[in-house]
Amino acid sequence: MQPNTSRRQTQESSAQVAAGGSIPLRKFGKQDVQVSALGLGGHHLGDAEDEQTAVRMVHEAVDNGMTFFDNCWEYHRGKSEDWMGKALKGRRDKIFLMTKVCTHGRDASLAMQMLEQSLNRLQTDHLDLWQIHGVTFDNDPELFMRPGGAAEALQKAKQQGKVRFVGFTGHKDPTIHLKMLQTDFPFDAVQMPLNAFDANFHSFEIQVLPELIRRGIAPLGMKPFNGHGEAIQQGAVSAEEALRYAMSLPVTTTITGMENLDVLHQNLRVAQGFQPMLAQEMQALRDRTRAVSGDGRFELYKVSIKFDNPEARLAHDYPLDMQSEEVKEMVQAGNTGHPFPVIPK
Amino acid sequence: MSDQKGVTRRTFVQGAAVLTASALANPRLGFAGQPPQTGGSDQVPQRELGKTGVQVSALGVGGYHLGSTKDQQEANELVARALDAGINFFDNCWDYHGGLSEERLGAALKGKRDQAFVMTKVCTHGRGKDVAMQQLEESLRRLQTDHLDLWQIHEVIYYNDPDLIFAPGGAAEALLAAKQQGKVRFVGFTGHKDPAIHLRMLTQDFPFDTVQMPLNCLDATFRSFETQVMPEANRRGIAVLGMKSMGGSGEIVSHGAATPSDALRYAMSLPVATTISGMDSLGVLEQNLAMAKGFQPMKPEEMQALRERVRVFAADGRYELFKTTKKYDGEVGREQHHYPNSQELPA
Repeated sequence: MQPNTSRRQTQESSAQVAAGGSIPLRKFGKQDVQVSALGLGGHHLGDAEDEQTAVRMVHEAVDNGMTFFDNCWEYHRGKSEDWMGKALKGRRDKIFLMTKVCTHGRDASLAMQMLEQSLNRLQTDHLDLWQIHGVTFDNDPELFMRPGGAAEALQKAKQQGKVRFVGFTGHKDPTIHLKMLQTDFPFDAVQMPLNAFDANFHSFEIQVLPELIRRGIAPLGMKPFNGHGEAIQQGAVSAEEALRYAMSLPVTTTITGMENLDVLHQNLRVAQGFQPMLAQEMQALRDRTRAVSGDGRFELYKVSIKFDNPEARLAHDYPLDMQSEEVKEMVQAGNTGHPFPVIPK
Repeated sequence: MSDQKGVTRRTFVQGAAVLTASALANPRLGFAGQPPQTGGSDQVPQRELGKTGVQVSALGVGGYHLGSTKDQQEANELVARALDAGINFFDNCWDYHGGLSEERLGAALKGKRDQAFVMTKVCTHGRGKDVAMQQLEESLRRLQTDHLDLWQIHEVIYYNDPDLIFAPGGAAEALLAAKQQGKVRFVGFTGHKDPAIHLRMLTQDFPFDTVQMPLNCLDATFRSFETQVMPEANRRGIAVLGMKSMGGSGEIVSHGAATPSDALRYAMSLPVATTISGMDSLGVLEQNLAMAKGFQPMKPEEMQALRERVRVFAADGRYELFKTTKKYDGEVGREQHHYPNSQELPA
């Protein structure tokens, strides 16, 4: 795809802003685009106290040189996209906007409907990056690539100029990410959990990251604090160490959730004037976390059905067994995308 | 793998060429390798146990379920019936039912020890050689024998387990010492959690004789031991012992993914030395025997068809929860690793 010239200029001007605000900018894969090394997560934005707080957080993030903004069609049933759309009014051109599509194996036509809804909520005519959300199950790669599958939507949306770049995300299994890559679909970006614990448990850092670099695909890290910060609360690592480790990996950006201004400020302190850890510091941290990483309790999203999405399970015809403790917690947790608004049949 | 047809019961050939060097060096380890067998479909077939020169029955009796029999009498009958049908592989573990499983097997094998290939497992869970050697003595006493045919490290399920097992003074040293002392003939390890952890164990290049892992028709689709570990073990000449052919507690069967017969037949058709199956009653034993006697392996295309058919049951791992949840982790093991109790964890 030929990047739209004005959008490209937008990226260059945002690079200048970031340089002043001194969050480092990094190259987005093979593209002539740069994004901030710290990205604002869309799910936690929907956890903000109210819309006003969310808007203020986005404004402060932009003003402090953050250009990468994450979101997803199903976060908080659309609230995350709604709030971000409001917050980006007048600032859209300064940032690199990503959202995700939640077909969960379903058709390209559903994906295109979701794209229109996302664009409406985000109050924009295009996305910088559109990713397949939650690639979780062994048969997701084949559902994605099948005739009429979501891969066709990614291509079509690019052709229509509604999205500049495309990718996929998932938190479950490095093997499934590798299967997606083996389809040789021209992904521009791939998102995955990367943190100080990952290297010692079902590791994306060891298995997937090098393959992305080899292919020139932009690696997007997420869950630098393991999703909900349990490891930090329990003193296994400090927040600063955790974020520094994730940002020191060869990734384009590290997306992290910030549900209030304090967390935003804390992350900005690490990201502004960021100096990466030395290789030996990273090794020392991996060695230190090795014993506590061993049972995966800080990375349960890689193993537990609890972190599945009920909508995704139903779309795959996997049962929601309400006798199961994991399923009860899954449904309570609200980490789900109930269709919003209801998808027409 | 060899699928020699069972014959008459084993003829014991003390000192025959099939005996391994260690067995020859120690006459107490008088278990005979199986002579080549011919004919008859009334017996469970025998297979080579890796490079050991010993043959074991293609179906093994799981020790955990043996401890779930209603009394010693039932355990005795089950073991005697298994031996009669040509099963010689008996699994066990130091911590099954607090030792009751080993006691039941020991009593049931009284006077029949030489007919059986007895395996048990040691439960150091990261602790050192001394704990292992102490547990070995306890296992031998409960099993009423002076040697084990196979001694395996139980429950290798955490990513740092290889670090702990191969640390100076770790459990790997106990395996070697017990072999040298003639108390065990062969050594191995087992685990149900993660192919990557099994591979980490194998790449230590320790002289394991066996490795045990879950192998069933769902496994190939989800975090697969069949595709990742089994070929590597076979390449190294290490005998593969399959378990959980029906999902561990029959989940594969009870949810209608496969019939018991298809599930067991699939597992036994893989290039494994034996498939260990839990049998807590004579009825279950007879059901397994009906399939295992005169066993004919599935053709590759039949196996592929079954894998395809059960894929929808397999891809989210819901019937192989032992690979993902903490619920199947032993509490002692978690404690020894300083991991929180599984009850305290989010699901």
